[in-house]
Amino acid sequence: MIAVVDLGVSNVASVVRAFERVGGTVTVTTSGTDVDRAGAIVLPGVGAFRDGMQRLRDLGLVDAIRRAALEQAKPVAGICLGMQLLADVSEEHGRHEGLGLLPGTVERLVPDRPEYRVPNIGWCDLEVRRPSPVVPSDLDGRAAYFVHSFHLRCADPHDAVATIDYSGAPVVAAVERDNLLGVQFHPEKSQDVGLAVLDALLVTFTARATAA
Amino acid sequence: MTRPRLIPCLLLKHGVIVRSQLFKVHQVIGNPMSTVERFSHWNVDELVLLDISEDDVHDLRRDDLQQSYEGTSALDVLRAVAKVSYMPLSFGGRIRTLDDIAARLGAGADKVIVNTQALADPGFVTAAAERFGAQCIVVSLDARRRPDDTHEVFADHGRHATDWLAAEWAKEVERLGAGEILVTSIDRDGSAMGYDIDLVRSVTSAVSIPVIASGGVGRWEHLAPGVLEGGASSVAAANIFHFSELSYPLAKQACIDAGVPMRPVQLGSPWFPREPPYDRAAEDARIHARLARARDRLPLPARPQVVRWCTRCVYPGISAAPMEFDDDGVCMGCRMAEVKAAIPRSEWEHRLDLLKEVLERYRSRDRSTYDCVIPVSGGKDSWFQTHIIKNELGMNPLLVTYNGNNWTPVGWRNMLRMKEVFEVDHVLVSPSVDVLKKLNRLAFVVMGDMNWHAHVGITTGPVRVAVQHRVPLVIWGEHGYLDLCGQFSMDDFPEMSYRDRLEHFARGYEWTYFVGREGLRREQLNPWKYPSDQELFDLDVRGIYLGNYVWWEANDHTQLVVEKYGFEVNDEPFDRTYRRMSNLDDMHENGVHDYLKYVKFGYGRATDHACKDIRADLLIRDQAIDLVRRYDPVKPRDLARWLEYVGMDEAEFDRIADTFRDPRVWRREDAAWVRDEIA
Repeated sequence: MIAVVDLGVSNVASVVRAFERVGGTVTVTTSGTDVDRAGAIVLPGVGAFRDGMQRLRDLGLVDAIRRAALEQAKPVAGICLGMQLLADVSEEHGRHEGLGLLPGTVERLVPDRPEYRVPNIGWCDLEVRRPSPVVPSDLDGRAAYFVHSFHLRCADPHDAVATIDYSGAPVVAAVERDNLLGVQFHPEKSQDVGLAVLDALLVTFTARATAA
Repeated sequence: MTRPRLIPCLLLKHGVIVRSQLFKVHQVIGNPMSTVERFSHWNVDELVLLDISEDDVHDLRRDDLQQSYEGTSALDVLRAVAKVSYMPLSFGGRIRTLDDIAARLGAGADKVIVNTQALADPGFVTAAAERFGAQCIVVSLDARRRPDDTHEVFADHGRHATDWLAAEWAKEVERLGAGEILVTSIDRDGSAMGYDIDLVRSVTSAVSIPVIASGGVGRWEHLAPGVLEGGASSVAAANIFHFSELSYPLAKQACIDAGVPMRPVQLGSPWFPREPPYDRAAEDARIHARLARARDRLPLPARPQVVRWCTRCVYPGISAAPMEFDDDGVCMGCRMAEVKAAIPRSEWEHRLDLLKEVLERYRSRDRSTYDCVIPVSGGKDSWFQTHIIKNELGMNPLLVTYNGNNWTPVGWRNMLRMKEVFEVDHVLVSPSVDVLKKLNRLAFVVMGDMNWHAHVGITTGPVRVAVQHRVPLVIWGEHGYLDLCGQFSMDDFPEMSYRDRLEHFARGYEWTYFVGREGLRREQLNPWKYPSDQELFDLDVRGIYLGNYVWWEANDHTQLVVEKYGFEVNDEPFDRTYRRMSNLDDMHENGVHDYLKYVKFGYGRATDHACKDIRADLLIRDQAIDLVRRYDPVKPRDLARWLEYVGMDEAEFDRIADTFRDPRVWRREDAAWVRDEIA
């Protein structure tokens, strides 16, 4: 089972439909038991970091997700806010603890050129830094859809498998660290490129489930 | 780098997509689903849906389309759109409360667009941004240019002045917490004059959030200045995406060529095959249920009888053609006929020059192939087209005819004589008669129209032949819906498109639907397979309508081609219309096919013809009413031929046909079908 955690504010339905379009079957859930049982966990999300974490705490999912990632070593994939929640801490509207799975902090985008706007809304070219199961290398140079005012700064630069250029500096677009996977963009809204990313994720989920 | 987005805006009114002018005049383009599916094929950057309905009326006009959606509200449309689109989706219109926003996000929108409510209650923007995140709150700003060249913001579909200067309101909106601004020039809406760049620049320079420019795009070249001169992050347009084939990819290419670093054109999505894979089991069940309803003679669901007619011609509101009425109850077909009649001679001369420019651009320079393709049925309009294109304008056309095997003797002779009379080459696309019979039967049961093969064959064959011969220009006759129901404006110069073909000619049914039915195989359906988007893009295929460039009056064409070329007129009247000169290529088009239209919608070809003749001042409305009351209900004699052709008996035909009756038109009284009639 692939469990897609319903964070309430996020548009889970479009993530589910996108997985289905590439041939996957996923289960939307808010239950810790499902997270425990799942072969892979997807954490989608839009909205504020604090609200997202609060929601996970309210649902009692923080421990279940940490257990899945750390003890069970299951693939845990975050999308947009979901990826940021994997981090240690966020500076969005104050300072808030994340799931603490992926070393790094979430910081505000600060452009220094007028053509760069906040939120960063739109299509940015992916620069693939190293091969990973998240962004297949043939997507290097292809654009994905971003909507964000904050970005993840990885403590270990090796974790950043793809970046975009924002105001002259690289910003993390996708991460991989062991069984943790994540994308800052919205694959469910990135047309062919996004569907290719979800297709790759499905392959990874299946492969790791088989290996386990 | 964040790439500027090219955003099509769909205006949704009472459930259908409309074309808009000055925020006031609306013409129906069609069902939203067929357009949205095209946008998915083309990897569109983002889609904006604006619900401009005044109230909760919801009217899809026809219920027999394959590409449609469940439900009766704009939210239902949004849900259906979200199911087939994997692009960012913004939804605006009639948003008054936070719950309205929650409902739209829940139905699949990624962002909502607020306008009037933001002006009425600025705190609403802040509350919305706090609850849902700034990134999903777009404020739409409609502005009008004042005599002193400043821009004033208007509320409520451009109706009420607000005293806000555009730049000042934009700053305020950013301060309130909006994530993006959609700026529209009311003066330029539908004008095709390009963006009001001063307005766009005044807004983009006032704020640091992204700005989308909108309002006024009439040519692809109008888009790029929104970014390059106006400083917008994105450019949007509405009407123009409805006018031609591959509109979005061509618009994109024009922006890229002008130096705007957008995402490249991408066609042929591996995840969205253009020819849809139908849900075989669900479709089988639907067909089975219809046949069971026919067998058991189940009654129609009772629905309010809601037919209205144009106050000037005799066109009904529930119809096969997308029809819209203005505030005086006059249909858009009559309005466009007025516009057309008012076009001065000088404008027609200008249009002829435009046509010559197009012809010159596409003429075969090295004479290795033909200059253009003319799809011909062999009728009066075909002869007129060939007369103009070959003999008046000196082109070397290839004529292409779809042979649906239903000719009248006169129609057949006229068609075959064209190669002699005009000294041109002529290709006939003649499908296997066995396949034709199967398609006749299947389409009758599936969509209540046995002539699917003809409508799709006629709109496909010539384009296939054009691509095979590497001839990019296809010259059709008149745009039927512009003329009949004013679907477009005369300045739109609409061209043929796959969407038009699939929605209006094929009713949403591609050839793939028929594979495996009655044993039909893929390779037997070649005459109905449209060239791929990549082939169309690479060859730059265009299908223009001659009626947009030269004065088009069918009654005059007959006289011209009879006198000049010896066109043979039909001396046998049709059963279902008083006109004798139309549709000689297909005895069923004015017969069984048209009778089925009457069964569905309560009107037929006599109504179509009478409307055209009222608009041409050849009939007055009272005469027309007499004619349509006499002709529309007639059961035609060619039905006997068709029943024998496909092997069906008349009782079975009637039972199946009755399942297609529109309950908004028909009711059962004393064991007879009755409807409100025009009076």
